[in-house]
Amino acid sequence: MTRHIAGAAAVLFLSVVTVLNGQSTSAVADPHNITGAWEPMRGGPGAPPPTPPSPIVLKPAFAPDWQARRAAQDEATKRGEPLATGGSQCIPYGVPTMMSIANYPVEILQTPGQVTIITEAFSEVRRVYLDRPQMKVEDVPPGYYGRSIGTWDGGTLVIDTVGIAEKVAGYQSLPHSPQLRVTERIRLTGADTLEDQVTLDDPIVLEKPVTYTLAYRRLPKYEMVEFVCDNNREYTDDKGVVRMKVLDK
Amino acid sequence: MRPRCASVSACLLLAGAMIAVHDHPAGAHHSFAMFDSVNKTTITGTVTRFEWTNPHVLIEMDVPGQAGAITHWSVELGSPSILQRSGWKFSDIKAGQKVTAIINPLRDGRPGGMLYRLTLADGSLRGNGGPPPADLAAK
Repeated sequence: MTRHIAGAAAVLFLSVVTVLNGQSTSAVADPHNITGAWEPMRGGPGAPPPTPPSPIVLKPAFAPDWQARRAAQDEATKRGEPLATGGSQCIPYGVPTMMSIANYPVEILQTPGQVTIITEAFSEVRRVYLDRPQMKVEDVPPGYYGRSIGTWDGGTLVIDTVGIAEKVAGYQSLPHSPQLRVTERIRLTGADTLEDQVTLDDPIVLEKPVTYTLAYRRLPKYEMVEFVCDNNREYTDDKGVVRMKVLDK
Repeated sequence: MRPRCASVSACLLLAGAMIAVHDHPAGAHHSFAMFDSVNKTTITGTVTRFEWTNPHVLIEMDVPGQAGAITHWSVELGSPSILQRSGWKFSDIKAGQKVTAIINPLRDGRPGGMLYRLTLADGSLRGNGGPPPADLAAK
């Protein structure tokens, strides 16, 4: 009952937001229905004003190395010799970076007890199990997607993820420890718009949690495009620079 | 449908702007910094292979020079997904066809680059993930 009341309140709230923003004329039928294909949007017509991310403050033991790596990346990029990344080697992005790669759509599927998120870029898949206890961080095998547990908080799907391997590149190239905990709050912000508020909490690496917000627009009837990274022309040279292979015929 | 940037070239400029404020966007497969974002090269030649693949679509083409010597060029495009959403078809180009490509060339001088605009044999234009740019000066 509580959930239904909260859901009804969310519908009312979303309807008001829709009228105020004028972003959509269609009503939100069910705030718990987020199934569909969603395209990341960062500005442009119809996009909401970007939500500024919270400041990134690392523990002193990690800050100098992170700043040096970012400076080296910037310098290499200015020289036209960008440093190789996991992406340039067709390595999956993992959680949470996979949730917004350029403008590649993200497909959300809802089945009883589970939300499945499939990205177009690199065809990554993450499974969010609903209303189950989360395991201790120490008990989850580290990987690209960790273990995700979801619960509905009114009209917001709250996803708790632990078990992200240290090798998985983070937001803004942030390092992280095995203690990383990713909390996402996914909700409809209109009939055809969605947001994912991502919070990274890592008591080993971060002085305080970092929060940033991703925005999406719905792609009605979109058919996800196959993406198998089997013809990668980019390679990494002996200096760690990503280069394009040029053929001779 | 409105992608984040009008084209891969526009993404390049956006990425440059974001880097300038020390934000590192989660871009597509790789940075565009290996390409010259300012200067462009126009090449006309015969397609030897058109690869509708991930992470990038590629056009391989033989380009005759002034003395008749052939130089082979590799031209990188966006991904099938990005191109398809902007009107491309996997069957738009076939080996043997003559095309003209305006590209952002590799900054290291090798014969390769990123497509800016393509003119097909029938005169129709293609962009690289957005509408074909009509005016080079207005990029």
